[in-house]
Amino acid sequence: MATRATRVVAAEKTPPRSWVFLLVRNALLAVVPVALLWMLLTPLYNRVLLESAQKLVRLTEYPSVTDLLRKDTHFAYINRRDFPPARALVHSFRVTDVHFHLIMVGVLFLAIPRVPWRKRLENLGWAALITIFFDIFLIFFYVKATYAVQLGAWSLAHYGAFARNFYGLAKHLLDLPFKLSLPFLLWVGFYYRDLSAGIRTRV
Amino acid sequence: MARKTSVPSPAPVPEGSFWHRNRRELQFLILFVVLLGGGFSLISLNWVNDHAIEPFTGGIAHASGATLNLLGQNVTQTGTILRNARFAVNIRNGCNGVEAMLIFLAAVLAFPASWKSRLTGLTLGIVAIQAVNLIRVVALFLTGIYFPRIFDTSHTVIWQTIVILFGVLLWIFWANRFAAPAAPAEPAT
Repeated sequence: MATRATRVVAAEKTPPRSWVFLLVRNALLAVVPVALLWMLLTPLYNRVLLESAQKLVRLTEYPSVTDLLRKDTHFAYINRRDFPPARALVHSFRVTDVHFHLIMVGVLFLAIPRVPWRKRLENLGWAALITIFFDIFLIFFYVKATYAVQLGAWSLAHYGAFARNFYGLAKHLLDLPFKLSLPFLLWVGFYYRDLSAGIRTRV
Repeated sequence: MARKTSVPSPAPVPEGSFWHRNRRELQFLILFVVLLGGGFSLISLNWVNDHAIEPFTGGIAHASGATLNLLGQNVTQTGTILRNARFAVNIRNGCNGVEAMLIFLAAVLAFPASWKSRLTGLTLGIVAIQAVNLIRVVALFLTGIYFPRIFDTSHTVIWQTIVILFGVLLWIFWANRFAAPAAPAEPAT
């Protein structure tokens, strides 16, 4: 059995692991627990998102006619109360697809090496809060883009060319590039200096 | 006793206005957002989609079909559609790896590095992302055959997360290992 002294000497001889190696290792270790936590919280989070987005949509319409109805755990309907009952459910979408980037936020923020846990969790909290607001606005734009471009003659009658292009493009950009890159943007915002410091040390 | 590690000291924080203190981060983030928005606006144009993205996606379908046939799936390809007797998929935008490539490209171009480093990063990164995307398409086809109940979750949540996370970690690796700053850091004031 190695004595404490030999263990210490061996540890001191071991070359230090690089910052990027630790980051990748931590990320791989964090993926499964974070994904499981996200799956566990998804039903509750879907409900919160739909209620918040519904309030936001109603702030921009008069009279308030939009309901965001839960279909099951993962899906929701956009319902307009001013439409005939047979046509009131104008669109359905998968709410869970809106916020799976939270997994990436969790993984990237927990994986950052050589930062105290308290600071990691504090930064993760801020990043999660920004992501929640982003998700609410994304659903808002889902609804607006549906109204502006997907309801045929009704859309043409109620939305001008500028509004149709604006909501269509905004939904496209928010739903793909910015939803997918938001975790990266947030991570860089919080940890750019750590990355730069790693490069400086290496150079 | 804690193991000795070479902890990089944080970069000096210059004094002054918010912009001055965070100039490098903000420059990177603004440039990244502009490049990303521009790239996605470009590929949303019908002409670009028809003449560049669709043929590229057809190439991915061809490579995926060939890989699936190597695995004994007897797949036929029509444009961007792959099918056999038990399952069929249409590879569309969002499944062709172009999004991950554009995010990676915008991040590499926005980061301060030499053009040689950028070119190396882009070449290796795009090849690596497409290799992971090929595995994704093949895995999804097999998931559709053997585990159809988890196809939706696998399609949008699991594999999107894997591909994007892979791209991000690849960029961090590139930035840390290959992208020496183009200009020396400013001395602290």
